[in-house]
Amino acid sequence: MLKLMINNSEVKVPEGISVLAAARLIGNEIPSLCYREGKPHFTSCMICMVKDNKSGKLFPSCSVKATEGMDITTRDAEIDESRKTALELMLSEHTGDCEAPCQVTCPAHMDIPLMNRHLANGDFREALEVVKKDIALPAVFGRVCPAPCEGACRRKSIDSAVSICLLKRYAGDHDLETGNDYLPERAKETGKKIAIIGAGPAGLAAAYYLQLRGHQCDIYDRRKMAGGTLWDEVATGKLPAGVLEMEVEVIKRLGAWFYPETNIDEVRFRKLVEKFDALLVTTGNREDNVEKWGLEMTDRGIATRGKTYQSSNNKIFAAGSVVRNSKLAIRTLGQGKEAAFSIHQYLSGENVEGEPFRFNSKFGKLQEAEIGEYLKETVKTGRQEAEERHNGFSREQVIAEAERCMHCDCRDLTDCKLRHLSDEYHAAQKRYWSDERGHVRKHIQHDFVIYEPNKCIKCGICVRIAEEHKEKFGLTFIGRGFDVVIGVPFGEAISSGLEAVGQQVVDECPTGALAMREIHDK
Amino acid sequence: MNIDLEHIDRIVNENGKTQSAVIPILQSIQGAYNYLPEDALRRICEISDITPSMITGVASFYSQFRFRPAGEHMIKVCVGTACHVKGADQVYDSIRRELNMETGEDTSGNGKFTVEKVNCLGCCTLAPVVQIDNITYGHVASGNVAGVITDFESQKDGGKKRRFRKATGEEMQGEIRIGLGSCCVASGSDEIRNAVSNTIDRNGLNVNLKHVGCVGMCHQVPLVEVVPAQGESILYSKVNAVDVDQIVRKHFKPAGLFNRIRGTLNNAIGQVVDDGTWSGVERYSLDVREKHVSAFLDRQVPIATEYRGVINPVDIDEYKQRQGFIALKKSLAKAPAKIIEELKESGIRGKGGAGFPTAVKWQMVAENDSDQKYVICNGDEGDPGAFMDRMLLESYPYRIIEGIIVAGYSVGAREGIMYIRAEYSLAVKRVQQAIDTCYEQGYLGEDILGSGFGFDLKIYQGAGAFVCGEETALIASIEGKRGFPSMRPPYPAVRGLWGQPTLVNNTETLSQIAYILRHDAGAFNSIGTEKSRGTKVFALAGKVARGGLIEVPMGMTIREVVEEIGGGVADGRTFKAIQIGGPSGGCIPASLADTPIDFESLTEVGAMMGSGGMVVLDDTDCMVDIARYFLSFTQNESCGKCTFCRLGTKRMLEILERITEGKGSTKDLDELENLADWTAKGSLCGLGKTAPNPIKTTLTFFRDEYEAHINGTCPTGKCKELIHYEINDDCIGCTLCAQDCPVDAIAFKPHEQHTIDLELCIKCDGCRQVCPEDAVVVK
Repeated sequence: MLKLMINNSEVKVPEGISVLAAARLIGNEIPSLCYREGKPHFTSCMICMVKDNKSGKLFPSCSVKATEGMDITTRDAEIDESRKTALELMLSEHTGDCEAPCQVTCPAHMDIPLMNRHLANGDFREALEVVKKDIALPAVFGRVCPAPCEGACRRKSIDSAVSICLLKRYAGDHDLETGNDYLPERAKETGKKIAIIGAGPAGLAAAYYLQLRGHQCDIYDRRKMAGGTLWDEVATGKLPAGVLEMEVEVIKRLGAWFYPETNIDEVRFRKLVEKFDALLVTTGNREDNVEKWGLEMTDRGIATRGKTYQSSNNKIFAAGSVVRNSKLAIRTLGQGKEAAFSIHQYLSGENVEGEPFRFNSKFGKLQEAEIGEYLKETVKTGRQEAEERHNGFSREQVIAEAERCMHCDCRDLTDCKLRHLSDEYHAAQKRYWSDERGHVRKHIQHDFVIYEPNKCIKCGICVRIAEEHKEKFGLTFIGRGFDVVIGVPFGEAISSGLEAVGQQVVDECPTGALAMREIHDK
Repeated sequence: MNIDLEHIDRIVNENGKTQSAVIPILQSIQGAYNYLPEDALRRICEISDITPSMITGVASFYSQFRFRPAGEHMIKVCVGTACHVKGADQVYDSIRRELNMETGEDTSGNGKFTVEKVNCLGCCTLAPVVQIDNITYGHVASGNVAGVITDFESQKDGGKKRRFRKATGEEMQGEIRIGLGSCCVASGSDEIRNAVSNTIDRNGLNVNLKHVGCVGMCHQVPLVEVVPAQGESILYSKVNAVDVDQIVRKHFKPAGLFNRIRGTLNNAIGQVVDDGTWSGVERYSLDVREKHVSAFLDRQVPIATEYRGVINPVDIDEYKQRQGFIALKKSLAKAPAKIIEELKESGIRGKGGAGFPTAVKWQMVAENDSDQKYVICNGDEGDPGAFMDRMLLESYPYRIIEGIIVAGYSVGAREGIMYIRAEYSLAVKRVQQAIDTCYEQGYLGEDILGSGFGFDLKIYQGAGAFVCGEETALIASIEGKRGFPSMRPPYPAVRGLWGQPTLVNNTETLSQIAYILRHDAGAFNSIGTEKSRGTKVFALAGKVARGGLIEVPMGMTIREVVEEIGGGVADGRTFKAIQIGGPSGGCIPASLADTPIDFESLTEVGAMMGSGGMVVLDDTDCMVDIARYFLSFTQNESCGKCTFCRLGTKRMLEILERITEGKGSTKDLDELENLADWTAKGSLCGLGKTAPNPIKTTLTFFRDEYEAHINGTCPTGKCKELIHYEINDDCIGCTLCAQDCPVDAIAFKPHEQHTIDLELCIKCDGCRQVCPEDAVVVK
């Protein structure tokens, strides 16, 4: 055993282990992308830099043995800057999307590619579950949403966008037609009560997600029916009243109470504040007496703090047009969902920070040469058109249309270490971007592995795994310096390179460069 | 391509079947096929322990190897520092244009020529230099590329290969230099110039008449230096016009006779010897018997280069006559610890760049009680503009071998490896010859000189990767792997080749060992400065009147080297800066010319000793371009293992390219500084850690030039994107420029003033070079 100082406390560790391993022994996770527990170090990613307090110099902790009397700092401003810079350098050539452009664009942030995969498989219930994670009223929004997602769809650069909105509508309609029985499980009741003022898209969405989290919502609206501005769509004939009613019904079945034709004046409001654990104001942009409720206002509406939806009174939240006018119902719907997240944080006694911002790698438009790569994972058929718009798609059409999705999302969304660390160290993807970006390539010859070299950080873990297992061809570094790529020798297919270790390289690849082709839930 | 598999099998059997044989096998295959056919590589994997991933990883790492067949003839365009500052890129572009080469191709459509850039051909004083097969062309300009190719075509079948030719195709007999510094002019050098010129004309000599600036030996003026194509150059001082005819005719025979005589002068061992003669040791080994030049030569102290120009490199008897192997004999009679003690006292430090005390390194290896240890001589010199190791290996192989044997004895190693770049074919040849002779005469092998100590030595040929100069990468390369450096510690002294303690010393360091031990420590430590003892060899090149290989005592100032040894800045230009240490070093401005050259002082001003490249820059050189040039070198040579170097050098280069194209912003400067800091702090090995030095020093000393580029002007008119060409009133309408223009940007208008269509102009500089009236100007 030897003694050293890590972050000002003395620790005893066995001899012969690295500083990184020593720190891990005492529960201090030094991040790394190229390090493999128990294997020789490779010193490539340089994320694991720590500081030797005696010399003030940084060194890669995976590659230096812990020695008696060392004095190490594992995190300070300079180390963070070092990690951030290394990450930003890697991101400067990381040509790939984390979330698909459609999901990034969707104001409700729905996982569209995953919905599409379920629909293409005919798993309509699973598809609905995916939709309802973000959109509380799928059949409604399958009719009234202007579908900004389709504007961002990559498929547009080949023929035309995937008909996402109608696909979502089918998921919703299918449920309504088969008994309207999908009811997600509620969390245990918390006993917390929330008053929601306004039963428009924001209020309804908030009620849905708060109910799911075990809270009790009372929804007040001056109208007779819940739905707010969505009734305008009913009036135009776009949205059948029955569809709206059935989906609102689901929220009620989850336990929310609806108080129609209830005007909330100043006095009533005070009482609600006293009686409830939290309030959410989603009254929309109609002339109201909101100004008199004693909340800080901006010239647009109620003032809220950042992305928390929290007003100047901590227990009162506000979302939708009462904060800032929006004609886009899907946006206010999304805000209702996000406000529910903040309220849940508030009611759980956590810091109210709102939904965390996640790092999202993006690479922009597809180039001509990349279209073929994306076509490898899709069908070439053109966009399905509903025979009559108000009828939506048939089952066959849904499957055919969903198959047109190109799956632009990364298969490694939740496990990607590069994404996690970029989040943690606030790395900016474009800091060192050059004018010329890398090219997207997809190698799919393997039974279950897909290789996208443009997402590779050249840590060589896969090369070492293949070598350890004596793969006949294996993988190797080809070329040198910036131009180095990982590939199979002699231009052989990925399937020849990874005969035995396909699963292992996928598991250990720190990014989405090597991943499982089949993806459902992430 | 059909491959004779039996041939491949033979190559494998000759070189071995394990990973360590990969590079030698690949070298043999490329030697046979001029590229690496995939069928051959697959065959190797079938019949040996070498795997497809190993062979692909290694073959694609080293720049020596090709995967596509090369053309019939290889055109190598030197882009070393000296050539770069004299327009090598324009020459390269113009050759590609001349051969109608497609973008992305390196071989002409008819398969006749393959064109490649090479880091340094070591002919820095002839810059820009182009080598086609075995013929080297000096002073090539973009405007005379066609002539070069035509000349090559006319020469290649004539059996007259291996020689120097002017870019015009004429054979050069040599050069006569006349000092035109103010002292020289005052003493009558004009008169002498006329006399020389007359003699040349009268005798029809193919001799360059060159005017040089102040040579620095102002007390000896007027000076005439005669530099024959072969043999030593002679400096004549206090020359009278009446002596000129005699002097010139003593060295140069009238045209026609020369070829025959030349044949007797030199046995033309090969291409590289010609380079050497031109650029290196011999050329600048002024004849010491001429007493009047001794003052000049006194400035140099030959230790590594002892007996230069006098000793026959491969003749062991000559070496012995000149005190060869005395140090070995003395050492074998001593305890190893005593030898290391003596080295310690001498103060010698590693000459590879970092200046680590040599004795400490030896001590570390000696202390290790492993049975198996190795000594490696690092001759993987890859800097553009540096050819010290090559000249030492070519000229003094025995001296280096003696140093290695003594090192082996001192540290307890029985095996040594000399790692020499395969491109240094003459060095390899001579060293091998010297090793063979040493075995024959009992200096290598069992029981050396009856001492009971045995030592084996062999050559390992490096395959072209600058990073392999780094000791851990060099070791990986000998083990048959990609030249990836690894984290130190463990140092090779503890865990090196095949996991055993290994002493890795630079060629120059090893070439000074014999001198130190033959005399005593005092002979060495009395030279130099307190912390940097002894001497250092430099390759002096660039805009200096006389470039070449020099060995000077540590502590000599930059000014002394440039002015007194280099003869000042050439062509009457002004000394602007000196680039020391190549891609790892920095640019020191003329204002700091009194900086002494030693490890500490150079580091203090942001440069470093590096391996010893020394490129003099004048007022026409753009410092941003110089920084971009060096960075493009390191970026290209980065091994790609660690994030900071692989991506940091690339992104810095992109920023520099933006700036030299006039597209940079002030924010770019901040980002450049920031990246330079992090690349230095975060990189794994010395290559990445020092790569930002050229940027950092130029940003420190020449920030105004960066700012000028950001504001849209290149003050020296070097950066292509920021300049344009114009023809002024001096134009006489001779049409030469119009005839020369490769893109018809100049209309053919006899007797009229010509104009350049800026839309069409590709800025190849051809028109400016051919204009007899200097009417083409860069704006």
